Amino acid sequence: MSILVSRDTRVLVVGITGDAAQHHTRLMKEYGTHIVAGVRPGAGGQRVEGVPVFNTVLEAASERGCNAAIFFVPAKHMKAAAIEAIIAGITLIVIVSEHIPLHDTLEIIAYAEKHGATLIGPNTPGLISPLERCKIGFVPSQYYMPGPVGVASRSGTLTYEIVSRLTLAGIGQTTCIGVGGDPAIGTSFARVGLLFQEDPATHVILCIGEVGGSMEEDLAELVYQKKITKPVVSYIAGRTAPEGKKMGHAGAIIAGGRGSIKSKLKAFEEANIPVAAIPGEVVPLVRKFLP
Amino acid sequence: MVKLREYQAKEIFRRYGLMVPRGAIARSPEEAKSIVSSMDCAVVMKPQLGVKKRGKAGAIAFVNGPEEAFREAVRLFNMQVYGEEVTVLLAEEKLAIKKELYVAITIDYAARTPVLMISDAGGMDVEEILATFPERLLKIPVSIIAGINHEITERITTKFDVSLSEVISRLYRVFRDYDAELLEINPLILTTNNEYWAADAVLNINEDSLFRHEDLLEMKKDIPVEDPLAEEANQKSWTYIRLDGNIGILSSGAGLTMAILDLLHNAGGKAANFLDTAQIDDAGIFDAFELLSRASGYSVLMVNIFAGLNRCDLLAEGIVRYLQKHPMDVPVVVRMIGNHEAEGHKILKAANIEPFSYLEDAIERVVALAEVSP
Repeated sequence: MSILVSRDTRVLVVGITGDAAQHHTRLMKEYGTHIVAGVRPGAGGQRVEGVPVFNTVLEAASERGCNAAIFFVPAKHMKAAAIEAIIAGITLIVIVSEHIPLHDTLEIIAYAEKHGATLIGPNTPGLISPLERCKIGFVPSQYYMPGPVGVASRSGTLTYEIVSRLTLAGIGQTTCIGVGGDPAIGTSFARVGLLFQEDPATHVILCIGEVGGSMEEDLAELVYQKKITKPVVSYIAGRTAPEGKKMGHAGAIIAGGRGSIKSKLKAFEEANIPVAAIPGEVVPLVRKFLP
Repeated sequence: MVKLREYQAKEIFRRYGLMVPRGAIARSPEEAKSIVSSMDCAVVMKPQLGVKKRGKAGAIAFVNGPEEAFREAVRLFNMQVYGEEVTVLLAEEKLAIKKELYVAITIDYAARTPVLMISDAGGMDVEEILATFPERLLKIPVSIIAGINHEITERITTKFDVSLSEVISRLYRVFRDYDAELLEINPLILTTNNEYWAADAVLNINEDSLFRHEDLLEMKKDIPVEDPLAEEANQKSWTYIRLDGNIGILSSGAGLTMAILDLLHNAGGKAANFLDTAQIDDAGIFDAFELLSRASGYSVLMVNIFAGLNRCDLLAEGIVRYLQKHPMDVPVVVRMIGNHEAEGHKILKAANIEPFSYLEDAIERVVALAEVSP
């Protein structure tokens, strides 16, 4: 079992004819992901890496029955592409690109909510389920193996650093979700935590957080309220990072004092979530909760 | 984020039909004097900065007449406000205040929608007042698809009045049209003749949206660059931050870079800077070294490479190529794992660079080197 992706996930690659898209289409296919269609306006009828290409998302979705999409589209065109896919009824939208205009992201999120789609990202390496041999994104799959840990992270390379240590120690993963490094993202730690709670294969949830934002606090709240009862362990990067420049009054008022390392550690302590002080402490901490 | 200066934000506000005090900018005390002598009213002079809370820093001057304007301008131009040099003053008409309000439009990142914030507690202490009396803040989320609807205007009209509701609608248009992360007016003045005037203006623009705002690109040219290296990194979609230790860091990914800062701190080291590049190739790492070679203040350079998608051997070649062309006078410690790791290490060793596989080992080595040559 896994969350969000499985062996039945049928993936559409939007912008499939570009170099990066072709490269990652090949890598995703090699891993086991079912890439069933690609889109590139004007390139309908071609094949890329053996995948049939269509002119529009709607055509691809209806002919090939896609239920997930990944986008290799310039940031300035992402909003139109993502909304097209959401309206076409695709339920898992993965946006790996960074530098998407913030207001565009908010619009994509609003459309996803309205149509009941799940948005992962933006600014993420994507997601991977070693159990189901499915990855959508450019996660380097060689560092992952099947096992009982569900991972949610805000950062790409830090996840590789930590997950590779888990794998080296023989501890595998159900699904690893890069929720995205942007301040506004589609799917939060809290949502991912609830999905892992429902996933029978996941025994331990690992949250790789960062200072800033309030996602870690929101996840801790769910654990505190016992809506998540599986063991959760965490590492938060940036304990000693210099505090960023304040965003003015509105930033302080809106965050309500949340976002600092102090606030996150306090929330985790109240929810009884153990926090690794350094990446090296993650493996022993996770192991404690495994049978 | 591009923090437009007050006078630039007000220029935009004016185009949207908002009331903005008449005034002009001065780049010297003489200019301030001549502006004030032409204005014939009480004037407020304010440094145009990226930081706020100028009032608390004593950096706002109320003046009557050109002589006082000159004296005060000399004082302000010699000030450093929270570390920022004063190069431009905005001199504008002082308003007849009946009431001071606080209005802001920003993004609630948890709800992931724009949010309006309005309070009758405008002025210098708004943050403290609202922390103590949160009920004095009217906070209204706005659907980014629907915008400000009838229900929202009704709420504002009921709590305040219809003209404020009109002002908020105009401000929301500015917020959306200009891809703002934050729009703030503190205070928004209700004048004695019952009009709302923007006494201050904050307009912070989302950097990723600049491509669709030619006028803002022009305005950006008038904003002093804080750190040229940071700006240069920014142009490449990298992040460069200067810190106050003696270890330089080249890494990729914000999370891992922060983890490295934490590990250095735990090991007793202190970073002089960090350059966080996205995933880079051998040409990219060459450029990253070149940029860091122009940064100062570090006595050892730590490079961290996790080549999940790229290749260690190619990146190692990039490093060696740079160092052979431009030898650095500080030791370089490279932690390198990932694809083609063994080949990468071999290339580094051949160039007399000691490679590490385990992050903590590299940190230990870097901190030891930093202690020898502080």
